[in-house]
Amino acid sequence: MALNIDVIKAGLETSVQDFPGRYGFWEQGFPPSGPFDMWSFRLANILVGNAPEAAGLECQFMGPTLKFSDDCVIAFTGAEMNATLDGETFPMWESVAVAAGQTLACGFASVGARAYLAVSGGIEVPQVLGARATFHMAGVGGLEGHALKDGQSIAVNGGAGVPGRKVKQDCRPKIANGKQWQIEVVQGPNDDWIAEEGIERFLESEWKLQARSNRTGYRLEGPEWIFADKASNKGPEHGEHPSNILDHGYPVGSINLCGQTPIILVNDAPSAGGFINPFTVPSAAFWKLAQSKPNDIYRFNRVSVEEAQEMRRGIDGLCVEDSIE
Amino acid sequence: MKFDQPKYLPGGDHFILVQFGDDASIDLNFMALGLTAALKEDATKGVVDTNPSYNSLIVEYESDDISYADLKIELARLISGLGSVEDLELESRLAYLPAMYLDPWTRDCVADYSEKIAPRDYDPDFVAEVNGFEDAKQLARIHSGTEHWVVAVCSTPGLPLMRALDPRCAITSPKYNPPRTWTTLGAIGVGGLSSSIYTTPGPGGYNLIGRTPVPLWDPQQRLPVFKDRVVLLDAADRVKFVPIGEEEFEYIEARVADGSYEFNITAYQRFSVGAYKKWVASLNQDGRF
Amino acid sequence: MIYDEPKFLPGGDRFIEMELGDELNFDLNFLVHSLSAKIREAEIAGLIELLPNMASIVISYDPDLISFADLKSEILSHYRNMGSLEDMELLSPIYYIPVLYCDHVTRACWEDYCAKITEKEYDSDILVQLNDLDGYAQLARIHSGTEYWVAALGFYPGLASLIALDPRCRLTAPKYNPPRTWTAKGTIGYGGSVTCVYPANTPGGYQMIGHTPVPVCDIEQSLPAFKQDLALLRPGDRVRFFPVGREEYDYIESRVTAGDYVHNVAHYAKFSIRAYHEWLGTLDMKERF
Repeated sequence: MALNIDVIKAGLETSVQDFPGRYGFWEQGFPPSGPFDMWSFRLANILVGNAPEAAGLECQFMGPTLKFSDDCVIAFTGAEMNATLDGETFPMWESVAVAAGQTLACGFASVGARAYLAVSGGIEVPQVLGARATFHMAGVGGLEGHALKDGQSIAVNGGAGVPGRKVKQDCRPKIANGKQWQIEVVQGPNDDWIAEEGIERFLESEWKLQARSNRTGYRLEGPEWIFADKASNKGPEHGEHPSNILDHGYPVGSINLCGQTPIILVNDAPSAGGFINPFTVPSAAFWKLAQSKPNDIYRFNRVSVEEAQEMRRGIDGLCVEDSIE
Repeated sequence: MKFDQPKYLPGGDHFILVQFGDDASIDLNFMALGLTAALKEDATKGVVDTNPSYNSLIVEYESDDISYADLKIELARLISGLGSVEDLELESRLAYLPAMYLDPWTRDCVADYSEKIAPRDYDPDFVAEVNGFEDAKQLARIHSGTEHWVVAVCSTPGLPLMRALDPRCAITSPKYNPPRTWTTLGAIGVGGLSSSIYTTPGPGGYNLIGRTPVPLWDPQQRLPVFKDRVVLLDAADRVKFVPIGEEEFEYIEARVADGSYEFNITAYQRFSVGAYKKWVASLNQDGRF
Repeated sequence: MIYDEPKFLPGGDRFIEMELGDELNFDLNFLVHSLSAKIREAEIAGLIELLPNMASIVISYDPDLISFADLKSEILSHYRNMGSLEDMELLSPIYYIPVLYCDHVTRACWEDYCAKITEKEYDSDILVQLNDLDGYAQLARIHSGTEYWVAALGFYPGLASLIALDPRCRLTAPKYNPPRTWTAKGTIGYGGSVTCVYPANTPGGYQMIGHTPVPVCDIEQSLPAFKQDLALLRPGDRVRFFPVGREEYDYIESRVTAGDYVHNVAHYAKFSIRAYHEWLGTLDMKERF
């Protein structure tokens, strides 16, 4: 059952991703890439009977229009993309049988920002550097190294899926349009470069997600940061600005302070550089970032390493068959 | 061929020649230099000096302090302590020497020979042709592309006898017949499988392909690098030629003349024969610079 | 300085930043890479990836398999068992990379920046002035006069940060403010006290002092040098730049385009810390190439 999906309209930056993304090449400069909202992505795969890691599509803000060449079972999770199948409303969080020749069309996301499409059998693109995840900056992985383009064709492995499966309500991420988010954050690694006053200010302030944000970095707008002494009393090799530090690796999720601009480093961000990271957004909060829209407001909620790990375990525990009814 | 057991041959009353084999395989030189280092460390009583070559080592000894027979035993002991050639690691500095390839001065030297002794093509063109290179420029690229192993410092003071370490850069060339009566000082020559640098303007038979503006020896010890030595290079050092143009040649020449030239030598490596063999085996022998 | 006790700083739920010191110091960087090698060998369950850089290592781990505390403790014990830095040696390949200094490619990039973003002084002029050099020739001579240690990979695939092993060749340069939106692939950059080769057409902030036609990153792994790895350079490798003229630059570019360019790498020398420290002690820091 060789299936092809024709890309009638590519949508805004739709790409092939797999979970957990690309590992083993970080020290050669390759970020993990992979799905931004790992919770929604895995559930989509489980709905159609795939392993949670199988390659699927990540749709951002405006989803694609796709035509299926053969029968299959698909599922759409994450943001509400107002999708239709041959004109009929297409349900989210549910596995649906698609017949050969049918077309799935998406509009703009009305709730949340990123949606995930899984197809029974999983998307078949070559593995590059160990993963199918797309890293567009280097043209690696996915469909020819980049986001989908109109007119392309995506191969899908044959796979049997069962339609009519639904994700239980309380097993889904609570994606809403409130525009206000509480984002968990772990203090460190370079929190000692910020004055006590600055730490408090960060945690007590509202931060606005700027429009110029994407999978490479989430730029935040907010008050000025206050630096500790050590940020100015340092060797010349660190650089002049208090936020400059001798080049070091960047944990994924770091809140990277470039001058006075904090940028959350997410899936496609550079692996290292010369700015400090006073706080880090943990894995469990990534779905919130993924489902935010420009101008959303963040308030950061400090948690410990152990608490953050517990939260992640909690989400992992929901990306299982038991979450399906 | 490498001998199963090294041969010991007397050279008069106070020299012994240790032969590791009878061809120019570089392993034999590695063994000779390994023995040189071992003798130095052992500080064997009675050993006065050593002088390596392609596949052998001459040891000069004081017969009042050690007999020929005892010295043979000592040498055999040290050689067996070296283990197999793959285990050898040798102290080896790397000297980056500026070289102007296809320079006007050696061109004049060759032209002079051609006029006065026997007609002859311009050496770099000749060598390029003999080796199947595209042209003299490729000869320069290939010659400067490899590190050259100093097999021995011999013939005239400071003169390094060198072998290309990168087998893809092996250059072969017949020598002048008859030899030249004089050679440009600092000329870089290739002959047989070796390269050398002329440290005196005397006779010579290697093909001249370039010239270096830096001195390889300095009996007056004028330049800083010669503070504790008279000769720049030792056997087991390596040379990498850095191609320069005429302007840079003149600049360096001026700094040599005023005593301020800084040699570019790194001395923080040990040459690993085992790693070298692995590397040679990994090369695509058809690749060319 | 190298910290007495390394710091283990949390990075969210699954990263640790291990800081071994806070300066750009070769010994410290060597320690970082030696420790990384040791940790890799240990194959700690739950440890996913290591990202060594100048003076720190970012470690990614699976908290389901190992806790922050346990991982810290294991790594610390490896750190304590490392033995003295002085005794360390590393087989370190050296890459010879040709550079056209003050070239046409980077000049065009700088002109574009001046036209579209903001006026700025020509990059090589900035370096000459800031470092008190005679001119472009001396800039080339000094930049190419040292081996560089690959201290880190990062920021962009294939981008290596290089630090000069010969302290007499350490220069300093400010960064572009604001940064460029593009840099020609193959540009030789200098920022702070680090030099690099841009592996692709990326944004950047280093001053541009030359250009190489030789690729340092090949994601398709089509050229022979990239068969094992898509990035040419790894931490612990060394690079030596050598100046070429326009003609040679064009020739090399044509070989790269034709797909038969042979990278020049010698992989048989062991870098010795003790020997490196001794060698540093022999240098006259007042002298310049």
